[in-house]
Amino acid sequence: MIAKLFRPLAPLGSPGKLLLGIVASAVLSLASPAMAQSTSAFSLNGFGTFGLARTTTDDVEFVRDISQARGVGSEWSALIDSVLGLQAAWHVTPQLEAVVQATSRYRYDRTFTPDISWGFVKYNPAPNLSLRAGRLGTEFFMMADSRWVGYSILTVRPPGDFFWYLPFYSIHGADAAITVPLGESILRAKAFYGHSDGRIPLADQQWDIAGSPMVGAFLEYQYGPWLARASYANIQFKNDLPIAPVLKNALGIDLSAQDAAFLATRDTRTHYYSLGLVYDQGPWQAQLMLNHIEQGSNALQCSDGGYALLGYRIGEVTPYLGYSWVLSKARGTGPSAIAAYVMQDSRSDQQTTFAGLRWDVVRNVALKAQWDAINGDSSSLFPYRQDNRARWDGRMNVFSLTLDFVF
Amino acid sequence: MPFRRLILLCSLFLLLAQPAAEVRAELVVVVNARCGVAAMTRNEVVNIFFGRNHQYFNGIEAQPVDLPDGHPDRKRFYSLLVGKDLSEVNAYWSRQLFSGRMQPPVKVNSAEEVLKWVVSHPGGIGFVDLAKADARVRVVYELMP
Repeated sequence: MIAKLFRPLAPLGSPGKLLLGIVASAVLSLASPAMAQSTSAFSLNGFGTFGLARTTTDDVEFVRDISQARGVGSEWSALIDSVLGLQAAWHVTPQLEAVVQATSRYRYDRTFTPDISWGFVKYNPAPNLSLRAGRLGTEFFMMADSRWVGYSILTVRPPGDFFWYLPFYSIHGADAAITVPLGESILRAKAFYGHSDGRIPLADQQWDIAGSPMVGAFLEYQYGPWLARASYANIQFKNDLPIAPVLKNALGIDLSAQDAAFLATRDTRTHYYSLGLVYDQGPWQAQLMLNHIEQGSNALQCSDGGYALLGYRIGEVTPYLGYSWVLSKARGTGPSAIAAYVMQDSRSDQQTTFAGLRWDVVRNVALKAQWDAINGDSSSLFPYRQDNRARWDGRMNVFSLTLDFVF
Repeated sequence: MPFRRLILLCSLFLLLAQPAAEVRAELVVVVNARCGVAAMTRNEVVNIFFGRNHQYFNGIEAQPVDLPDGHPDRKRFYSLLVGKDLSEVNAYWSRQLFSGRMQPPVKVNSAEEVLKWVVSHPGGIGFVDLAKADARVRVVYELMP
C-alpha cells in the first residue's frame, strides 16, 4: 500500500510532487531523532598526501603533470606529489547539495597557494539523474577528477604517460549524469560543458586557458566487477601559447610573425578520445586505458598513450605492476628553424615500467613506494621541465614514497 | 513471497537447531518490507551499496545504510559481497566523494539502528545478522560465506 503511494514520486514527477517529496523527507528526518546524524546538513572531509620523489637525472625535471612549473631531479623533493584538500558539503535537502573543495598543491606559479578546485550546486531531480552547475572537475578521462586523491588510487600518482599532458582540472559550467539500470548491469552517461579555468606554465611564462570552451561526454557500462568506458572531449583554446616571450627570455630570439601564425593555438581545438576497462574484484585490481589526442595547433603534436595496471592484495599490502606508454606524431619541420625548435618541445616518445607497493597501515592511511623506469627517446621532451636537450638521453628512474590519508 | 517464507522458516530452523552462542550468524541484506522488492542478486546489491544505482526495479529510491569501520559486520559484509577489504571500500568512496560525484551511504552504529533506518525509510536497505531480521523487514539477499 505504502509502496503504491510512493511509487508516483519516484519517476521524474511534476515540481509539485517533487516538492511534496522534499517536504515529506524533511518531516520524516525531523520526526526521528535516531536519524539526526544521517541528515546532518554539513559535512567536512579532507584528503592529503605527503610525497617524496627523486629521479636519476638532472638533464630534465620530472613533473606529475604539466600544470607544474618545475619538477624534481636527482635530489629527494616533496614538491610534485604533496597536496592537502578540504571539502565542505551542505545538504540543503536530500536532492540538493552544495559542495566546495579547496586544495593546496604545487602549481603553475611555483607556489602552494590554495585554489578552489570545485564549488558547485548538485541537484538530483530523480534518484538516477544528477545535475551540477558551478566550478566542476572535468572527467574527460576515467579518474581525471580524482587524480589528486592519492588514497583513492593504487599507485603513487596516476600513470604519467597517460595523464601528464592533461593540465585541465576544472570548468565553469554544468554537467548532467544519468544512470540506467539494465537488470544487473548499469549504463551511465555524463555530459559536460563549460569554460576552462586555469593556467599552464611554459618556462617562465604562463599560458592562460581561462575561458576556453570545453565540452565532453562519456558512456560507461558496468557489469559486476567489470567497468568499461568510452569518452570524448574537446577544448578550444582562447589564447596563444606564450612562445614569443619564452624565446625572447630564454634565447634572446624574436619570434617572426610568420612563425607565430604557424604556431598559433588560439581558436584551435584539441580532441581527446579515451577507452578504459577496469576489473575490480576480491584481491585483484586491473586497469587498461587508451587515449588518443588530436591537437589542432602546429605547436602541439598529436599523441597516443595508454597504460595497463595490475594489483593483487595480500592482507594489508597490495603490490602492483604496470606499463605505460606515449608516442606523439611529428608534424614535419615547419616554416623555420625556430618553429622547428618549438615544435620539438611537444614531442613525447617513451615507455614506462612501474612497480610498487601500497600498504594500508591503519584506517584511512596508506603508505606507498614506487619505482618507475622510463625508457624513451632523447626527443621525448614534452613531459618534462627545464630540459637540457643536448644531454637528455630519454631514460631515467623515478623513486617515490608517499603517505596518503583521508579524513 | 514464498522465498521470504522459506527464509523465515530457515532462520527459525537455524535458531532452534543450534545453541545461540555457537551460531556464527549469517549476514543478510534486508529492505523495508513495503518497498516491493522480494529478492535481489549479488550484483544488484553491489550496485546499490556502491552507489552505482540509486533505485530498485520498481523505481523506488534505494536508501542504503552502512555501519562504521569499527563494527565487525561491516568488514564481513564487504568481504563476503565483493571480497574487498575495508581500506579498498573506503578508497572507492573517497574517490566518489572528492570528485564531487556522491556521498557514501549514511552510517549508523548498530544492527538495531540499521533496522530502525530500514523500517523508517520507504527505500531503506541494510545488512544485519539473519537472527535480527524481524517481520518489519524483508530479507532479499543472503551472504554466503
